[in-house]
This record gives sequence, structure tokens and C-alpha cells, in this order.
Amino acid sequence: MKILLIEDDPETADHICHALRAHGHDVEEKRTGPQGLDSARGGQYAALIVDRMLPDLDGLSLVRQLRSEGLQTPVLFLTTMTGIDDRVAGLNAGADDYLAKPFALAELVARINAITRRGEPGPPVILRAADLEMDLIRRAVHRGGKPVDLQPQEFRLLEYMLRNLGRVVTRSMLLENVWDLHFDPRTNIVETHMSRLRTKMDRGYERELIHTIRGNGYILRAD
Amino acid sequence: MPIRIFHTEGFRIAAIFVAIFALSVAILAVVTLEVVDQELRGQIVQFAAADIGSVKDGYRTEGEEEAREVIGQRLATPGASDFFLLQRGVSTKLAGNMPPMAPRTGTFPLPYPGGAAGRTILGVGAFIAPDLYVFSGSDLRSAQMARQRILRTLIWVSAGALALALLGGLIVSRSFLRRADEIATTCRAIMAGKLASRIPVRGTEDELDRLSETINAMLDRIAALMDNLKQITNDIAHDLRTPVTHLRHRLERARDQSGSVEDYDQALEAAIGASDDILALFGALLRIAQIEGGARRAAFAPLDLSSLLAQLGDVFGPVAEDARHHLSLSLNGPAIVSGDRELLTQAFSNLIENAILHTPAGTIVTISLCRENDDAVVTVSDDGPGVPPGEHQKLFQRFYRLEASRTRPGYGLGLALVAAIGELHEARTTIHQTDGKGFSISLQLPFASQTS
Repeated sequence: MKILLIEDDPETADHICHALRAHGHDVEEKRTGPQGLDSARGGQYAALIVDRMLPDLDGLSLVRQLRSEGLQTPVLFLTTMTGIDDRVAGLNAGADDYLAKPFALAELVARINAITRRGEPGPPVILRAADLEMDLIRRAVHRGGKPVDLQPQEFRLLEYMLRNLGRVVTRSMLLENVWDLHFDPRTNIVETHMSRLRTKMDRGYERELIHTIRGNGYILRAD
Repeated sequence: MPIRIFHTEGFRIAAIFVAIFALSVAILAVVTLEVVDQELRGQIVQFAAADIGSVKDGYRTEGEEEAREVIGQRLATPGASDFFLLQRGVSTKLAGNMPPMAPRTGTFPLPYPGGAAGRTILGVGAFIAPDLYVFSGSDLRSAQMARQRILRTLIWVSAGALALALLGGLIVSRSFLRRADEIATTCRAIMAGKLASRIPVRGTEDELDRLSETINAMLDRIAALMDNLKQITNDIAHDLRTPVTHLRHRLERARDQSGSVEDYDQALEAAIGASDDILALFGALLRIAQIEGGARRAAFAPLDLSSLLAQLGDVFGPVAEDARHHLSLSLNGPAIVSGDRELLTQAFSNLIENAILHTPAGTIVTISLCRENDDAVVTVSDDGPGVPPGEHQKLFQRFYRLEASRTRPGYGLGLALVAAIGELHEARTTIHQTDGKGFSISLQLPFASQTS
């Protein structure tokens, strides 16, 4: 994937580029807001990574400008501030996701993978992975034709995993998107719910679909 | 001082009042003098007319001789007219104390006989017989003198009043200046580093007193914030040393003792974990500072506490169960408050996590929502061993940790964050504990205005 990184700090930019290239992405770098804006307008990028603080034109205005021009490229917003306001402001301006510095590179890669999927055709009514089937209308889950009884929280968790089929989802992505928790809890919320879900729909089956990526997150694989 | 004083508001106000007073005195003087003048002239004319009447009566009843008699009597009577003339034809004077003149009837002024400068006679002339002319009048000087006396009195009285007003203005301005100086002196003292200085308040409840009180209250607030800041700086300096020192130890050990690549990997993992902890600590501190700054209130929106807590119950129920605790909910219908959903979620989560993490297995944790007058009260309670009462107030301080929990992970910022979020929502945060067993923290939030 071709990704445009607009970041003024050379060390951070280098760090990010390195990680994305290691994951097979093609990264282009820009240092200032106006340069980034020009490149974003012209090039065909799969995603933009935009820093909040940029020389000449700040990230927020840049994203707002791009969106007002009708550019729909997914945007991941970066900031050093842990501020909640910044996250909301970033999303309101039209960014697709938000990441506060410092972040783990695995987190960045996972989120980039998640947002670039958004161009795909509209939401399906039935989500499938191998012999697992989730009917979003009837709120029913079947594995190998047999019904699986899930609690609402477990259902939402599985739905999110299915929607990110084949992609790593991190702990904080799950906390934010499944439970709407925007802080780091001290209890094992993710592990607890994940373990219950897996007990119901994965354990004891011939092939396990959900895998733990150590120190990173989880992945639901169909193959 | 004498120059500065003219620039004070008090003096300006006094000067304006003095000017208004002077103008009204002038108007009063003009009107009074006019009225007095008219009155005196009227009196002269009235006397003159009456005297002419008497002369005419005398002539009618007893002839010319009697008319002369009457004039003689009148001239000798004080209070009657001063001047008389009885004249036949155009030049034959029969009686009176004036030279003959061209007969003229009606009321009119006449130059003083003998030509004394500036003096005038006002009088009435009439024919009492076809050939007999009478004039009677009085010197206007008495009227002019009365006028001058009144004018002089008015001038003296106004001068006195003006002097008093000026003096009053000066006194008021001086007191105003002195108090303004007090405020300026205090501010300079504070700028010079005497942060405890306050403006003296007189207890008179006047505008300057209220202003001083407000400024003092502001200074108190700033002082409290600065203390807070100092406290935080100290806390950070102290409490960040520990994790950073640990990190350093780890790295040192890795350098000195690692024999294999595996050892290095492990040491690096641990070091990354430790630096993540430090960053998380910074994040939490920044978040508290941001919330205490109060900027988040703009994001307030009506939200239902009941549904928020029900959701948290769903999230933490299994977590509590895994920790061999029991989480129970007691929600009594919707309760709409105005607040920040994200922050309230975090505050309640912190309380629930504390109750799960700091109590022994088998503890029952209860989340309850009830109404108290115009407030919604959210309580997170447990039936665990509780917290020593002496420690209650310290629980909400940053970095405060109970002895018993020092071995567990965490930095003692959870409740400080709860307190900050509570304060942002104008909520009362209270701790309850029934002796020995059970502990609860309540947040009392006012209902959103549209529902109360």
C-alpha cells in the first residue's frame, strides 16, 4: 500500500517509515502542512498519516481542507497530547482514527490496516470466517451449523473481530471500538471477555480461529 | 498629591456636582431678582396711584387748595411716594418737590430731578381736571438696593456651599486614592514575591471593599492553584524517580549480566514495559491536569447515568467474576445528567476497578444509582475490609497509596482522577464506611437542568 506520512519530526518520521516499510508498505514523507496537502491532493494514497502539529498548516486544518475538497482517503491522526479533546477534534475534522504519541509501532500498523479497509463495499448482513457465521440482522452466531449463544458484549467483540478478518487488532483498538473505553484499564477487561468468547465459539473445535499475537493483540484467521 | 487628586474619579464626580450646583444657584438668582424687582416696582406704582387718587379726591371735594394740602401731607408722610407735582397747563407748578414738566399720563420712569447719575424715578401721571396735571412717584434706588442685598446674600451662600462641596470632593477623592494606593501597594508586594499579601478590607461593604474582597478571593484561588502546582511538581519529581531508577537498574543489569541474545531480548522487553509504565504515568498526570483546567466542560451533553452504569456492569461483571468477586447493580430507572460521557465512564471504571483490585476474593461490589433531591447519586461500594478512617481524605491526593497496596501495580492516581472528574461535574464526592467492614465512594451529580 502507498501511504503518505506528514510529520515534521525527522526521528518520529524515520521510526514510522521504517516500521511501515518492514510491513511491505510504500511510504512517502512530507515535513510541512502545505507540502503534505499538495501531495495528498495529487497522489493516489491508500492512507494518510497526519501529525497534529505541523509547520505552516496544522494537521487539523489540513484534514479539514482535504475533506472539504472531497478527498476520501483514510486518515490516521497523530498527536503528542494525551488530550481527549484532540481526539474528538481530529475525528470531527474528518480523520478516521487517532493515535497518541508515544505509541507502539505494532499499534500503528494495526490501525493503518484497519482504516484502509474502509473503501470496501457496504456492510454485509452476514459475516463469515471458515465455518463461523454471524447474522447481524437476527443477531445469531453459528459455528459448523450449530448455534453459539453469546452475551451482547461477546457478540460485539466477535463482530469487530470478524469485520477485521485477517488483521491484527490491538488491545486498545478493542477497548475503544467494542466497549467505548478510551483509557487504559487496570483490570483484564479484554482478556476476560476474549477468553469467554473463545470458550464459547473456538475452544474444542478442530481449528481455532482467534489467535493471540503476543504483546500485540489478537487476530481472527479464516485460513 | 494635589495634582494627582484632580484625576481621581471621586474628584471628577465632586466637580460635576459643584458645577451643577453653581448653575442652579445662578438660575435661582436670576429668577429671584426678577421677581423681587417686579414686586418692588409694582408697589411703587400702587402707592403712586393711591396718592394721585387722594389728591384727586381732595380737589373734587374742596378744590385746588385742598389738593396742595394733600400733597404737602403726603410728602411729609414716610412710606408714601417720594415725589409729587401738581401743575397747571404745561409749565405752571402749583405744588410738589419737582420741577414742572411736559404732562405725560400712565406709568413711566423719569430721570432724577437735578440729574443725579443712574438714578431714576418711577411714577404715574394723570389729569385730575382738564387743565390740572398730577405726577406721583418714588425713587427706584430702594428697589435697586434690595436687589443688590439679595444678590450679595446669594453669592455668599453659594460660595460657602461650593467651598463645602469642593472640600467634600477632595476628602472623598483622597480616601479613594488612599485605598487605590493600598491595592496598588499590595499588588506590587505580590509581584515582588510576597505572595501572602492581601488587600486590607474595612468591613464597610462599599464598592471598594467588595472589589478588594474579590481581588483577595482571586489571589487565594491563584495561591491554591500554585500550591497545587508546587505539590504536583514535587510529586512528579519524587514519584517519577522510582520507575525511572528501576528502568535504569534493569538496563544496567542487562548490560552487565546478559550472556545470550535471549537474555538481551528479555531485558529489552522489560525495559520497554517499564518505559510504557512511565509514559502512562505522565499521561495520567497530564489528563488530571487537563481536567482540573476545566476546559472539558464545553463537551458536556445530557447523558443517562443508568445506561452508562448498566454498560459498565456488563463490561466489568465477567472481570469481577474472574477475580472471584461478585458485581451487582442496583439502578432505578434513567437519570439524566449533563456531563462528559468519556470522563464519567473513566471515573466510574476507576472506582469499580479499585473495588475489584483492592479487596479480597469473595467481596461483593455493588454499583447503585439513586436520587437525592435534585441530584443523582452513584455509589460504588464493597463489603471488604475498608480503609482506615484516618486515610480517607488522603485517598484523593495524587500518588497517595495505602501501605497495603504499595506492592501492587499502580501509582495512586486513580482516585485523584475521580476527584478531578467529580469536581469538573460539580459533583460531591464522599466516602462512607461502616465500622470495620465495607467501603463506598459516592458521586453526587446534579440532574441536567431540563429534567429538574
